[in-house]
Amino acid sequence: MVTVVAYTLLGLLLAVLQTTVPMFNPMWIGAPDLYYVLVAYLAYRMDILRGLIILFPVSWTMDVLSGVVLGTYPAICFIAFVLLKFTSVKMPVRESLYQVPFIGVSYLVVSKFVYLILSFMEPGVLAPWSWPTVLLRVLLLVVLAFPLFRLFEMVNRRLQGSLIPFKMLRVQGGNRYRQEMEKK
Amino acid sequence: MRARGGSKRNNGFRALRIVLFSGILLTLALIFLVSTLGTQRFGFVHKLIFETTAPVQAVLARVAGYVNVAREEYLALFSVREENRRLWKALQESREAANLNREALATNARLRKLLEFKETTDLPMLATRIVGKDPSLWFRTVVVDRGSSDGVVKGMPVVNGDGVVGQVFSVSPNYSKVLLAIAPSSAIDVLLQKSRVRGILKGTGSLTYKLEYVLKTVDVQEGDHVVTAGYGGLFPTGMPVGVVSQVVRKRRGMFLDIEVTPTVDFLTLEDLLIIEREMEFTR
Repeated sequence: MVTVVAYTLLGLLLAVLQTTVPMFNPMWIGAPDLYYVLVAYLAYRMDILRGLIILFPVSWTMDVLSGVVLGTYPAICFIAFVLLKFTSVKMPVRESLYQVPFIGVSYLVVSKFVYLILSFMEPGVLAPWSWPTVLLRVLLLVVLAFPLFRLFEMVNRRLQGSLIPFKMLRVQGGNRYRQEMEKK
Repeated sequence: MRARGGSKRNNGFRALRIVLFSGILLTLALIFLVSTLGTQRFGFVHKLIFETTAPVQAVLARVAGYVNVAREEYLALFSVREENRRLWKALQESREAANLNREALATNARLRKLLEFKETTDLPMLATRIVGKDPSLWFRTVVVDRGSSDGVVKGMPVVNGDGVVGQVFSVSPNYSKVLLAIAPSSAIDVLLQKSRVRGILKGTGSLTYKLEYVLKTVDVQEGDHVVTAGYGGLFPTGMPVGVVSQVVRKRRGMFLDIEVTPTVDFLTLEDLLIIEREMEFTR
């Protein structure tokens, strides 16, 4: 529960940060998609249920702060989450060496896919697709993925070693003796 | 016995020599003293002593001088460091003040422009400020700090001192999202100011507009001004929108391809005005 709240707050902070600090003007293309790094982190490190619970408010916030077609960001977030989760479980990209470049690749694939869907459903609403700007975004994402992953890991460690041991407060059901024996 | 007698004689002779030597020295000293004090003459010995000691004095004085200078400079360093710190602080404060002044001047100029614009029209307007910008590559929106509690309604035109900026797209109690006129989903009814020919101005997602539905028979020149038409009651008539920058006459089709450069600089947007109009269709 604490992890979910903490990462949700972190995601909201990233969404707000992305729409203010690196946006020097409304046409600025060099603003990295920070929320996407969180999506990737959740896909790699968290179970599906908690990942989806965190992604809901974060993607909705992005939807409110950016864009004119509601549902664009939830679509991007959930497709990316499923794709990355699938690859992290089923494919050899579980190796951390490939994880960061794969975030960039998945961003490109998911962006193009959602763009095609939107341009089909809402013609004339989107700005033309531009490979140089999208590739710049991919590059920024890959560059920022590693430090942000470090930050997320740090937050995770802090939560594990927090002053209040939340795990101890949790009510445990069933035969605990048997559970411990099974663990051994 | 004999040796002991010789030793005694030797000791007596040595004592005599000492007494004699002391007497001579004392006599000489007395002579020197009497001759010096008496005549007050700076004699040879004085000069010899003087010549011997003075160079040593000179060397020592020079060394002492160097040491003194070094000590003074070292001590001065402390005060210089303190002075340096004080001056740096003063410089930073001055720079900060200068920056604030420059910012105040720029804000003043911007607001003056907005005020002048506001005074040219009797439409009720609401000043607002951009608080967030759309980071996506596909849409062009900004978030402003006025909402429904200020009377803002979806569809209201947003302008600044240079012309049309866009229109309110969605509203919450204290904030609104503004769809910029350069967004691909934006379409504004406009007129070519000179010929009064009507067209639809569409955003392209970049820093230009596309003027559509202007017939090939119309005389359009680069540099022609484009203003709002005022049809539909959304934008007031005659507000500056852009200037024709390119006209292409294709062989096929009925209409001209017209590119329009916005009068508004979308790269430096900060303070805006929301024109408060009655939006019957959104209420």
